[in-house]
Amino acid sequence: MELFFRKSIIAATGLFLCIFLIVHLSANCILLLPEDIARELYNSYSTTLRENPLIKLVAYALYLSIILHVVYALLVTLRNRKAKPTKYALNHSNENSSWASQNMGLIGIFILLFIVVHLANFWARIKLGMGEAVGTDAFGYVDVYEVTSSLFHNIYYVIFYSLLMIPLGLHLHHGLKSAFKTLGFYHKSGLDLLAEVAVVYAAIMSIGFGVIPFIVYFK
Amino acid sequence: MKATFRIWRQDTPNGQGGFKDYEVDGLNADMSFLEALDHLNEILVLRNEKVVAFEYDCREGICGQCGVYINGRAHGPHENITTCQLHMRSFEDGATIVIEPWRADAFPIIKDLIVDRSAFDRIIEQGGYISAKTGTAPEANAIPIGKEISDRAMDAAACIGCGACVATCKNASAALFTSAKINHLNSLPQGQPEAHKRVLEMTAQMEKEGFGHCTFTGACEVECPEGISIVNIAEMNARYLKAKLFS
Ligand code: HEM
Ligand code: FES
Repeated sequence: MELFFRKSIIAATGLFLCIFLIVHLSANCILLLPEDIARELYNSYSTTLRENPLIKLVAYALYLSIILHVVYALLVTLRNRKAKPTKYALNHSNENSSWASQNMGLIGIFILLFIVVHLANFWARIKLGMGEAVGTDAFGYVDVYEVTSSLFHNIYYVIFYSLLMIPLGLHLHHGLKSAFKTLGFYHKSGLDLLAEVAVVYAAIMSIGFGVIPFIVYFK
Repeated sequence: MKATFRIWRQDTPNGQGGFKDYEVDGLNADMSFLEALDHLNEILVLRNEKVVAFEYDCREGICGQCGVYINGRAHGPHENITTCQLHMRSFEDGATIVIEPWRADAFPIIKDLIVDRSAFDRIIEQGGYISAKTGTAPEANAIPIGKEISDRAMDAAACIGCGACVATCKNASAALFTSAKINHLNSLPQGQPEAHKRVLEMTAQMEKEGFGHCTFTGACEVECPEGISIVNIAEMNARYLKAKLFS
């Protein structure tokens, strides 16, 4: 049945992406280390990942998740619009629900914009070999660190990357809580705990991803 | 006390509607909101104008007939009450009060502030009952039910079907209503024999009626006069999954 099926796809893919973000942020913390250690660690880490067939599988799951998440989010939003064709002349929805929960689609469009630019900056250059060629470091690893550090020496990219972590945080805060309920988790005190975890998780993700570009810029 | 009522007027279900302003004098703060509308209608009768059509029955917060959107909120500015339990003291003297009918594709407007909520009845028809013949009321302790379960069932059963959940939901989702009706029966022993069938058929009807997806904004539980918790929707989802897997 579509009402359950569609939301469950969004929830399951969303949660998978949430787990991915934890791994991604942890790896990015390497960028905070002193320059020469960071370069070697980051490059060897990313090369190891790229060459691991299991990780390749996870990468495909990741692409698929993003696509499914966006496609089903679109279908859900379209049906919801159809279910409410006339809006109220006066609606104080901010008095009964959070702004983020009312605007997940709009917030999602910002995240999608971010994902497109982010993939163009890294994935397209490193994996597809598009744009300026990527060199190798002293150990012969593909120099992903250089790609990152040169990108974040452009203040416009630093601002773009940091600013767009605000919608990410809002999306994760509502999304994490919503996904569990969509998938049928209805333990009352568990949900109260989840609400707190969601604040902490969303804050760590958006602040974490948001400050790293600045730290790299000033390094 | 004075107020300007800005009311949605619409003569026929498919007709063109619009807002009309009515300046009303002689109100007092202790009037209920519905009494204030009665007062306006008495004035309109004397002026030989068409009265404002709105619904009510009990006027004591138990029938669920009186739902309208008042100043941007279902049932007005307070949480967890019906419109008949709202009083004019909740508004400033001279205020402009915007009154609209529930808005949802599944709740078409009949006239002015009255909408057709029979979509809810059709959801109930798909399993909001048990089909065993019970005769006269059985002895209350014949089937022992633990307090925790009976409390949960009772909380869900409190739903009066007013439609505020659908009205306030940006997606016009009927998930709070449907989940309350399902969980009420499915958590009790009497509801067990038809439990899976009930979830599948009531939710299928909910979908057929054109309600939207639940995205857990939480607005419904704030506006629900019975304070029915949104956790019911998560529970319905779990029951739905279970029914899909095991029936
Ligand atoms: C890193 C990327 C993303 C993550 C981790 C993520 C995570 C989530 C999660 C966990 C949910 C909750 C699912 C549920 O309510 O059951 C969700 C919902 C949603 N997401 Fe995303 N999302 C991401 C990107 C996007 C993008 C790019 C879009 C759209 C262009 C989008 C649009 C939506 C919409 C419309 C919903 C459902 C609305 C709602 O539940 O209120 N998301 N997301
Ligand atoms: S008239 Fe019955 S609940 Fe308001």
